[in-house]
Amino acid sequence: MRAILGACRGIVGQTAAVIVALGGASDVLAAGDGGGAKLPQLDIATFPTQIFWLVVSFLVLYILVSRIALPRISEVLEERQDRIADDLDKAETLKKEAEQVRGEYEKALAEARNQAHAAMREAQDEAAKNATETEAEAREKVANMLKDAEERIEATRSEAMSNVRNVARDVAGDAVAKLIRIQVLGEEIDRVVDATMEGRN
Amino acid sequence: MDVVTVREVFVASPVEQFTIKPLVPLEVGGLDLSYSNSSLWMTITVIAVTAFLTLSMRGGRLVPGRWQSMAELSYEFVANMVRENVGSEGRKYFPFVFTLFLFVLFGNLLGMIPYSYTFTSQIIVTFAMAAVIFVGVTILGLALHGFHFFTLFFPSGTPIALAPILIPIEIISYFVRPVSLSVRLFANMMAGHTMMKVFAGFALAMGVLGVAPIILLVALTGFEIMVAVLQAYVFTLLTCMYLNDAIHLH
Repeated sequence: MRAILGACRGIVGQTAAVIVALGGASDVLAAGDGGGAKLPQLDIATFPTQIFWLVVSFLVLYILVSRIALPRISEVLEERQDRIADDLDKAETLKKEAEQVRGEYEKALAEARNQAHAAMREAQDEAAKNATETEAEAREKVANMLKDAEERIEATRSEAMSNVRNVARDVAGDAVAKLIRIQVLGEEIDRVVDATMEGRN
Repeated sequence: MDVVTVREVFVASPVEQFTIKPLVPLEVGGLDLSYSNSSLWMTITVIAVTAFLTLSMRGGRLVPGRWQSMAELSYEFVANMVRENVGSEGRKYFPFVFTLFLFVLFGNLLGMIPYSYTFTSQIIVTFAMAAVIFVGVTILGLALHGFHFFTLFFPSGTPIALAPILIPIEIISYFVRPVSLSVRLFANMMAGHTMMKVFAGFALAMGVLGVAPIILLVALTGFEIMVAVLQAYVFTLLTCMYLNDAIHLH
């Protein structure tokens, strides 16, 4: 690769040399009968002044560029770079802030939703509880009423039973007295009626 | 147009424009150091570059205007070139490379102004720059790597059998660098300016038909401006590559 580059460079050099030669030729051609015309670039007498002023000019330019011009340009470029970096930083911070605010908002929204859910569930629970309580109360009340009624029926029944017994005793006593003209003792009739009713029951 | 004028046009040789004309004679220790037309345009280049870089950055605005953009773009252009070709170690040499680029670029471009002088069309100027770069880069390489620097002429991993061919090629290509670097710039500038003078001569000589060379000349002027920029870029780019070789070897 380097060899090829070197060769290329050599060719370029040769081409340049040809161009120089051509320049010289055209010079000679153009000068025609003028004769003795030489390429001014090859006049060695002018070399010292050219080198001297080249060195002076280049050094002056180097000092001016490196001491005055370059620091100013790099300062401006750096300032701009800093400003851009600054702005980017600021944008980053703002973006982060915005994200944070959004996060907070979303959190608040989720919280509110949860609260609403909780309130709804609570209301439902309470309603369900109330319904159960009311039902139980009603059931108890009905049960009580049922018991009362049963007791009343029982009382009425036993009262009716005892009335029947008295009637049966009176009828039995009277019937015995009429049939066999014997006055049976009250206790005896009671015993018999009771035994009979027991048997019936 | 009579024949004499045509002769005169051609007598004014197309390479006469490269003549060094002393403006302020100056002799130091027997050496002629006269301030010439070439020196004048070097001075104008220094002033133009400095003015371009400082006046455009005077505002130092956060959002650059046109001039400031151009100064910043040239800065970033060369900075990228150094970073890509030399790497982070090249930062130290950036002021030099930047100065070199602007000096050559402005020298080439200012040379496109009619009646100006193109100091980069002088072989001694381009050769002096190339020689300084070559010597500087070689010293830098030796200082950084010592004896190891000579592996530049025989990259590791190359079959040893290739050594007799490769080493001379590498050595020659290394020592040809200052020549090719300087001749490339000098020849391009000189050939372009000579060609333009020749076509200008045709335009004068051909009378009404001279419109054709003038049209060509307009196209050529645009082309020469491109060459001026391109050659400044190539000169700087090769300097960066030589720097890279000295710093990183292969």
